[in-house]
Formats: sequence, structure tokens, C-alpha cells
Amino acid sequence: MLIAQLLLNALALGAAYALVAIGFVLVLNATTAVNFAHGESVVAGGFAAVALALFLPDGIALPGLILLPGVLALSAILGLAIGALAYLPIRDRPPVSVFVTTIAVGIIIANGLNATFGAAPRTAPPLVGTGGFELAGAVLSRQSLAIIATAVALLGGLAFLLQRTQLGRRFRACSQDPEMARALGIRVTRMTLAGFMIGTALAGAAGLLLAHQFFVTPADGAILILKAYIAVVIGGWGSLRGAAAGALLIALFEVGVAALASQPVAEGALYVAVLLILLFRPQGLFGETQQVRA
Amino acid sequence: MIRAVRSSSFAIPAAVVAVLAVYALGFASSYDQRLLTLAGVYLILVLGYQFIFGHAGALSLAQGSFFGVGAYTTGILATAWNPGFVVTFPLSILCASLIAGLVAIPVLRLQTHYFALATLALSQLLLLVAVNWEGLTGGANGLAGVPPIEVLGWTASRGLPLLAVVWAIAGTAMLVARWQMGPDRTASFTVAREAPIAAPAFGMDTQMMRFRAFLLSAAFGGAAGALFVHTNRVVSPETLGFGVMVTCLTMTVVGGRYTVLGALIGALLLTHLPEWLRDLDRYYLVALGVLLLVMVVFAPNGLAAFVSRSPSRTAPNSLATAHPADLVRGDVRLVATALSKTYGGIRALDGVSLDLQPGEIVGIIGPNGAGKTTLANVLTGTARAESGTVLVAGIDVTKRNPHEIARLGIARTFQTPQLPSGLSVEDIVETARRHAAVPQPPETNALLSFCGLASIVPIAADTLPHGTRRMVEICRAVAARPGILILDEPAAGLTPKEQLDLGTLCRSLATAGMGILLIDHNIDFLRPITDRLVCMDAGRIVADGPPGETLEDPRVREAYFGLDIQ
Repeated sequence: MLIAQLLLNALALGAAYALVAIGFVLVLNATTAVNFAHGESVVAGGFAAVALALFLPDGIALPGLILLPGVLALSAILGLAIGALAYLPIRDRPPVSVFVTTIAVGIIIANGLNATFGAAPRTAPPLVGTGGFELAGAVLSRQSLAIIATAVALLGGLAFLLQRTQLGRRFRACSQDPEMARALGIRVTRMTLAGFMIGTALAGAAGLLLAHQFFVTPADGAILILKAYIAVVIGGWGSLRGAAAGALLIALFEVGVAALASQPVAEGALYVAVLLILLFRPQGLFGETQQVRA
Repeated sequence: MIRAVRSSSFAIPAAVVAVLAVYALGFASSYDQRLLTLAGVYLILVLGYQFIFGHAGALSLAQGSFFGVGAYTTGILATAWNPGFVVTFPLSILCASLIAGLVAIPVLRLQTHYFALATLALSQLLLLVAVNWEGLTGGANGLAGVPPIEVLGWTASRGLPLLAVVWAIAGTAMLVARWQMGPDRTASFTVAREAPIAAPAFGMDTQMMRFRAFLLSAAFGGAAGALFVHTNRVVSPETLGFGVMVTCLTMTVVGGRYTVLGALIGALLLTHLPEWLRDLDRYYLVALGVLLLVMVVFAPNGLAAFVSRSPSRTAPNSLATAHPADLVRGDVRLVATALSKTYGGIRALDGVSLDLQPGEIVGIIGPNGAGKTTLANVLTGTARAESGTVLVAGIDVTKRNPHEIARLGIARTFQTPQLPSGLSVEDIVETARRHAAVPQPPETNALLSFCGLASIVPIAADTLPHGTRRMVEICRAVAARPGILILDEPAAGLTPKEQLDLGTLCRSLATAGMGILLIDHNIDFLRPITDRLVCMDAGRIVADGPPGETLEDPRVREAYFGLDIQ
């Protein structure tokens, strides 16, 4: 029954990675630029949960879930700041510029958190309490199940927002053709900022989900952006579904190889795999949704 | 004259180094000397990063890793066998270059976002190896007890001797960077970076340029890492961490990404900044992030741009005009047979055959989406045909790269002029002339005069009006002394006067033996100057003959003008 537990852990990790990767793609589609501060946004969400938890009364039920709206709101504000400071002023420059400004924002966030909270690992409260329950001989962790449920709920909400609401339709129109969207009277800048807000809110939520089981330190951002980046390359540059699929694949790969060998071997194998994918499929594993505009 | 003004810009870095020498000898405390030593180490790292990040314009996130590889090579060799600096230093450079060479093949052809990812994955992989391969690297603790630099029995102890060695090597690195990136090559890299599609079309091997830049960046990184280890006497995983990369990136952005002076300013400033901003304490790194952000937004060319502004130039008073016969490579014939190309189910080219003789002007008309530009792309190697062959001067070029085809004597322009920003008209034409690989390329000024551009020689091309930009692109195409010239919608957006001048220019080149393919919609422009007019529709040639006949052809009238027009 170890396999069932491993699978559940992998799915939980994959669900959290999926939130990160989808947030990354939302910003990517809104800007055609890579938001390198996205990993630090996850970390910031984790620390927001740690900080907000100080205000919770002891012994409260569902501590993590209660924090979720607060973390989402704070992260959305952070996203707005990233978009307004690191993207809008240089939106007409080559993509490398946005890489560098968002790296700068990442430095600011990581070191700001380090100066405030210290470098030691912190843990956020669990979503619905700790422990697990037995099912056919396997002990299933409540936290893992809650992570999956929360991520599915958030992504369901996102799907509804994008597919069924006017805001979502406008947002997608801007992603596909910003000039045409502007000609139709859509305020493209607002939609771009909305992309930063939603994308970063999802990253922050992932930070809350990850920060109980895996702890959170200010320096975690680099690894997280790398995983999101890899998920998006595997799933197809610009594809939301692909990003989720890529995130699940990465998590399964990581948990599987780590169980067979060790965590460093799993990470190393992942990076080698990425380099091999880029060697044989320079356009990503499933091709690009987001084409470079000539 | 222009060159002389530019070369003197090296005087400023030389003066800075002289002042530093006086400071180091006369005034610096031992702590100041240590900071200066570190500045020298970082200077080498940044000079290397300028090749790939600045000149090649590719965001490599592996520069810190090459530093780390150099550091570990020296650290491991020196603590295990201590074969001496003369062995470990070159080997450190070699190891970093080797790793760069290994990953360059898959990595360098990638576009920006994949290139950044691949170099980031590489750096994380190397860091993992360093932390986990304890037997070799000492794991998380690293290796202590690295000996000082020893050359021929002389030991460079801490303080002035080490400072002198590091800065001697840094000085050499500045000279190498200066030699590798002289004004000519800087201009070439600017073109390759700013006009990546056009650059191969006049013979520029942009892949090779990127490869060289990447190898140089790694070699410099390895050298810096080796010196860093001799300065600190320990090697630890921190040398491979993202922190080194961030430091290097910040120095390059703050100082400037293209010039030796920029590297010097960045390295000196950011090694001393923690000292000057000591009051910020824990928030220093936050301030560093803010600085990086502010620089990119408000001063993208770095502080060096404020010190040395590029010299303003004036137009020459009179220019000799090139003779058309000197602008044409004789006897290049273009024969395309049964070319086919599909884009996602659409047959852009469907069995197109075309023959262009020296001295002949052929016009291509056809509705939008007929495959005209695809034909130009396939003929010049910008796109590759799925079937069919292209012969240039009897040589099969169907599977050749654009820059190879260009060197055989085909030149082209683009529907949207592909001119690099920031370069003058003269620099743009001069760069193309240098890459032409022909025995006697025409004199740049004579060429500009021939194209009627003499008065705008010193002006930056991106500030010119549309019609003039087109003419600059045509002038650049002719600079390679081609036998065949392909112009994609050259008359679009030109005034009647400009169209007339363009027609005269084409005619005089054709008279001198150049074969010219003109893709355009403007019948009034094409009819008087073309020998043949070809009409394409839905990827096929529907008519090919003298202009009068083609325009009367019922299939052309149907495809191009609609049936009703009589």
C-alpha cells in the first residue's frame, strides 16, 4: 500500500506545482514574457500564511483554509506590483529586459523575506488539521487530500473565470491578439495587470499549500521557478492544460525517482531530462501554443 | 577618423586602472586591497558575461556556473596534487570552456526563453553535483586549504602581491575583450542581435558568432573562478550558487553590457557598494534588487553610457559614386525546380519552378497568401522547401543555411525592413560589406552615394522615414556585390518619386548583369521595368511571360483582379 501513499503524495505535490505552473502561463500569455519572480511569489505566499497564522486563535478548525482568502488577496496585490513595476515600464523592450527586471523583483522579495523572517525553514498551518485515515490498509494523509481538493477547486474557479465570464473572454482575447483587442476597445493594460494578479495569487496559494508539509525558506524561489518553467516546456509553451499536465508529470517523476533512489538523484535526473528534451525537441515536448510574433 | 574617436574610448578604462594602481600602492588598507582584488576577479567574470549577454543578447544563467567550474577545478587540483598555478589556471579555463562547448550544441539554437531555462537547469545540475559528490568536492562544506598562487617559486601572498597578479590577469582580460570585440565586430553583433532574420541573408553566420561568444564567456568565467579560489583559499558550493550569477548580472546591467568601461564600473562599484551602504545591514540585498530594477527601467545601457557618449558624426561633403558594374557579381543564375512547402496544412508553395537569368528583371505578382514571400524565403534559405531544388550558379543550395546561400551571391530585402536599431546607415552597410565574402566589395560610401543615401550616412537607421529605410535595406543588400537580388515589396509605401528612383536603380543594376526578382503589388511600378512578369496564386505559378502578356492572361485577371474588371 506504499504505492497508494506515494501516489497520493505525488498527486498533492503535482496539484501544488500545477497552480504554480498555470499562474506562470497566465502571466506568460498576458505579456509573452517570462516572470522570473514567480518562484519568489510562491515563497511569499508561504510566508504570508506563516505571518497570518500568528493572528489565528489556538485550536481553530481548518486553519489553513481560513488563511487562503487572505493569502490570495495579498498575493494578488504583490502581482499587481510586479506587473506595474517590472513589466509595464519596459513592455516595448526585448524580452530579455523583462527577465532581468523580474529577476530583480525576485531578489527584492527573497532578501526582504530573509531580512524579516530569517533564513530558517518555517511551516504554515495545515489546511484541515493533521493526521490521516486508513483506507484499505493505506494511511492517507489528510493534508495531501486537502491540497488536491483545494487546488482542484481553485483551478475550477479559474476555468469558470476564463471560460464563462466577460473578464475571462477579454483576458483570452488580449492573450491571442493584444492589438486587435485594443482596437475592439478592451483595456489591454488592465487585462495584463489582471493576468499578473491572478497568476501571482495562484502562486501564493501554492505557497500556502506547500508550506506545511515541505516548509518554506526565503531561498526556495529559484527551484520553484525552475519547476514551473520545466512544466510549461513539457506541456507546451503557453498551454494552460499542458502546464497542469507537465506539473503532474514532474511531481510523479520526482516522487517516483526519490522513492527508488534519493531526492538529489530525482532532481538531477529532472534537469538532465529537460536538457535532453530541449536537445531533441527544441520547441518543447508538445509543441508551442504561444508562437513568437514576428 | 570615426575609428580613431572610438579607439580612444579605451583611454578611460586605462586611466581608471592607473588611478586604481596609485590608490592601491599608496592609500589602500589591507581590507581595501582585498576588495580591489575581488573587483578584479569580478571584472573578468563580467567581461566574459558581456560577450553572451551583451553582444550576443542571450540571457545566459550559467555564467555563475562557469565561475564555479573554474573555482572547483582549481580547488580540487590544488588541494589534491598542487601542480601549481601554471597548470591549474589554464585547466580551470579549459574545463569551463569544455562544459560550455558540450552544452552549446543543444542550447545555443534555442530561443530566448528556452535558452534561459537550459542554462538555469545546467547551473542547478552542476550545483547538485557539487553538493552531493562529497568524495570529489567536499560536499556542502567544500574544500579548504587551497594554496596561494605560486609562479616560478614566487608566492603571491595576500595583499599587494595577490592584487597585482589578479589585476595583471584582469588587464589582460580587458585587452582580450577589446581585441575580440573591436568596433567592427561590435557592429556585427549589433546587427545579429537586433535584426536576427536579416543578418544571415547577407552572409552572417550568426550561429557561429553566438558559439564564440558563449565559449569566450565560459573561458572568462572559469578564469575568474580560479582566481576567486586563490583569493579565498577555500572552494564551496556558494561559488556555483545563483548568488554569483545574480552578482554578475547586476554588475553587467549597472555598469553597462557592451564596453570594457562598463565592466570596470560595474565590478568596482558593486564590490564596494556593501561597504558604502553598510547602514542598510540586512536590507542591502533588497537595495541591490531595487538598483537592478531601476537601472533596467531608466538606464538600460548602464552607467558607462553616461561617461562615454558615442561620438556624433557628420556627413561627408562629397562622395565618389560607385559604378553599377562594380556592384554586380557576374554570371549567377538562379534555377528553382518544383518547390513545395506547407505551413500547417496550407500549401504555400505547390510545385513552383522559376528561372532567373543574369541581367533579367522578373516581377512576381499575386494576391495576398499566394506564396510570394514564401518563395523568397525558400530561395534564400530563410525557410526550407519540403521538395524541389534550388540551384545558385549551378550549386544545389536546397539544404544550405541562409548565410551560405547569401555568400554564393544572392541578396534580399524583407517585406518589413529589418534594420538594427542604434546603428548608423554607414555602419549597417559597412557590416554587410564586411560579411560579403567577395574579393572586391564596393566602397561603402560610393555605394551609399549610388543609392542616393549620401546625405544620411551618419544617421541612425531606426530614425529614418519608411521609404528611406527601404532604400537603406536595398543598399545593404547590394553591398555584398550579389549576382541576384530579391526585393520583397520594395515599392510599398514609397512616394511616386521614390518608386521612379528605385526603378532606375534596378534597371542600371540589371544592365550591369544582375538578375533581379521583384515581388510587388504595384503593376504601374513593375510593368515598365520588368522583362518578365510571373503571377502566383495559391502556391502555384499561373502565368509567366512578358508583362503585357501576363497581364492579359485570363487566369491572372481572375486570380489577381477578379473576373469582372475589363
